[in-house]
Amino acid sequence: MLQIQNISKDMGEFFLDSVSLDISKGEYMVIIGPTGAGKTILLETVAGIYEPDGGSIHLDGNDITRAPPKERNITMVYQDYMLFPHLTVEENIGFGLKSKKVPSDEIHEAVQRYAEMLHIAHLLHRYPDTLSGGEQQRAAIARAMVMNPWALLLDEPLSALDSKTRENLRKELKDIHEITKTTIIHITHNFEEVFDLADRVAIMNEGKIVQVGAPDEIFRRPKNHFVAEFVGATNVFKGISTSENGIASIKIGDIIIRAHSEIEGDAYISVRPEEILISTAPLASPIRNAFPGKISDIRHCGAMIRLNIDIGVTFVVALTRQGFEEAELGIGDCVYIAFKATSVHLFPGKSTTE
Amino acid sequence: MRRGVKSPLRAATIAIGVGLALFIVLLLLLVVSHPTLEGMISSLKSPEIHFAIYLSLVTSVISTILCILIGVPSAYALARYDFPGKHIVNTILDMPLALPPLVAGVGLLLFFGTTPVGEALAMAGLVFVFTPLGIIIAQFFVNVPFMLRIMRSTFDGISPRYEYVAKTLGCNDTQALWRVTLPMAANGFLAGSVITWAKGIGEFGAALMLAGATRMSTETLPISLFLNMSCGKLDLAISAATILIIMSVVSLYIFERYGGFARF
Repeated sequence: MLQIQNISKDMGEFFLDSVSLDISKGEYMVIIGPTGAGKTILLETVAGIYEPDGGSIHLDGNDITRAPPKERNITMVYQDYMLFPHLTVEENIGFGLKSKKVPSDEIHEAVQRYAEMLHIAHLLHRYPDTLSGGEQQRAAIARAMVMNPWALLLDEPLSALDSKTRENLRKELKDIHEITKTTIIHITHNFEEVFDLADRVAIMNEGKIVQVGAPDEIFRRPKNHFVAEFVGATNVFKGISTSENGIASIKIGDIIIRAHSEIEGDAYISVRPEEILISTAPLASPIRNAFPGKISDIRHCGAMIRLNIDIGVTFVVALTRQGFEEAELGIGDCVYIAFKATSVHLFPGKSTTE
Repeated sequence: MRRGVKSPLRAATIAIGVGLALFIVLLLLLVVSHPTLEGMISSLKSPEIHFAIYLSLVTSVISTILCILIGVPSAYALARYDFPGKHIVNTILDMPLALPPLVAGVGLLLFFGTTPVGEALAMAGLVFVFTPLGIIIAQFFVNVPFMLRIMRSTFDGISPRYEYVAKTLGCNDTQALWRVTLPMAANGFLAGSVITWAKGIGEFGAALMLAGATRMSTETLPISLFLNMSCGKLDLAISAATILIIMSVVSLYIFERYGGFARF
């Protein structure tokens, strides 16, 4: 168990303000937040690069707040790889074991094992600047994993990669986590990484952790206005998807929502509130997702009105003030909502059966 | 880049640049081609020139090593750490660049000749006034800012995150510097050493003030050029000048080749 308690650190432009976070062994924790939220300093403080101004960090009960990085058994991977350019891929991956004075045949064996796990065994003799971004990041992950760390810290590890490579490496991170059960703390801006990888997600803003929880919980029940705005897509639901001919049917509770996708199994859907139509009579147009429901709440948010519609699960629908007044709607009214299958975003979800 | 567009500005500025380059080449050729070949060879064989080459090489190598020992750690501190007064220290360390070497030489002469520290050093056998030791100190003082600046910009160009990663991989501060940052700074280090060495070879003003110009004693190549020019031994003077030119060209080449990002 990694316990971060009331950590504060002032670095001028970036700061941490009394951050507390508990991470269980083997957990995959994703931290998201806007630029300047203090995500990177949080990781670097956990790694031991900075000593916090206040607070404490305990690892399995031991106080490591002031321990030097090399005594923490926590390794780190940055967005821009940070492979040592004067060393080959093999020497990069073996760097940490060499520091620990591990015999060279054991280093060689361990490097080979992790290079194979990350599919870079054929690149071991090359220098980093001859590798593609994806290959470099694989090498950086191997370099961190070969230490068999208590925790692996990933600072936007996929952000510098093109979308195809990002998707592949994301799958591999998932596999690595499943195989090695290493605790991972992963910073990202990308919601797909949250849905696909996270056991729990923490949202950071202005040096604070604003909310921690399971991904669907954060999206469904944002604790405050900032989280709701930041996560953007308010209608996030978890369900089970089956796909046929490119049309996915996602069962969420008692309702079935259709989307254009081939993703199957555990999945999250999100629908932007602006893309949902609302009317008091059944819609005549042949729209795939149409449900009767009841208005359970009405909120005024500036120029927009947000209605909560209970159709078995609660959808948020956004209306302009004018549209709202013309429709003469009130709490408890029966209405129909509808949205196109193309308005439904489907993300692969992490299985919760573990 | 637009091509084929006739621009008077383009023509004029290119003409000035090329003209200046031609002027430099002309001067160098004049020096090198002035003496007869026999005169040149016999000068190069003279014990005086041999002594000057030897003294120049020894003093410049030692002063370069001193510049490395003092300049590299200072540059690292200025690039990596924040401390009170950093800005002032930074500015003061650049001072010798703007200071005329003669003035630096006077300062060194006063320090080693008149202060208790200088006297104590002399008592201990380290005499800097009018000795080759003085040449080394003069070269060091005038040139250490070059080493410092090049290494500072080199270290500035290396993300501290390389060291962070090294530390999570079992290094302490010093090991991270030694195993990661210094090897990554190799090109800057080479460029800094070469420029410092080349400037050391050519150092005249400060060395003249502190070590004097004594034939066969503190006679480096530039001093030899000065002494022989003063008494009309043109062949010897120009041999010394030619050797200096060759060394400059070689060091410039190395600097351009490896110093890319560390130029200032």
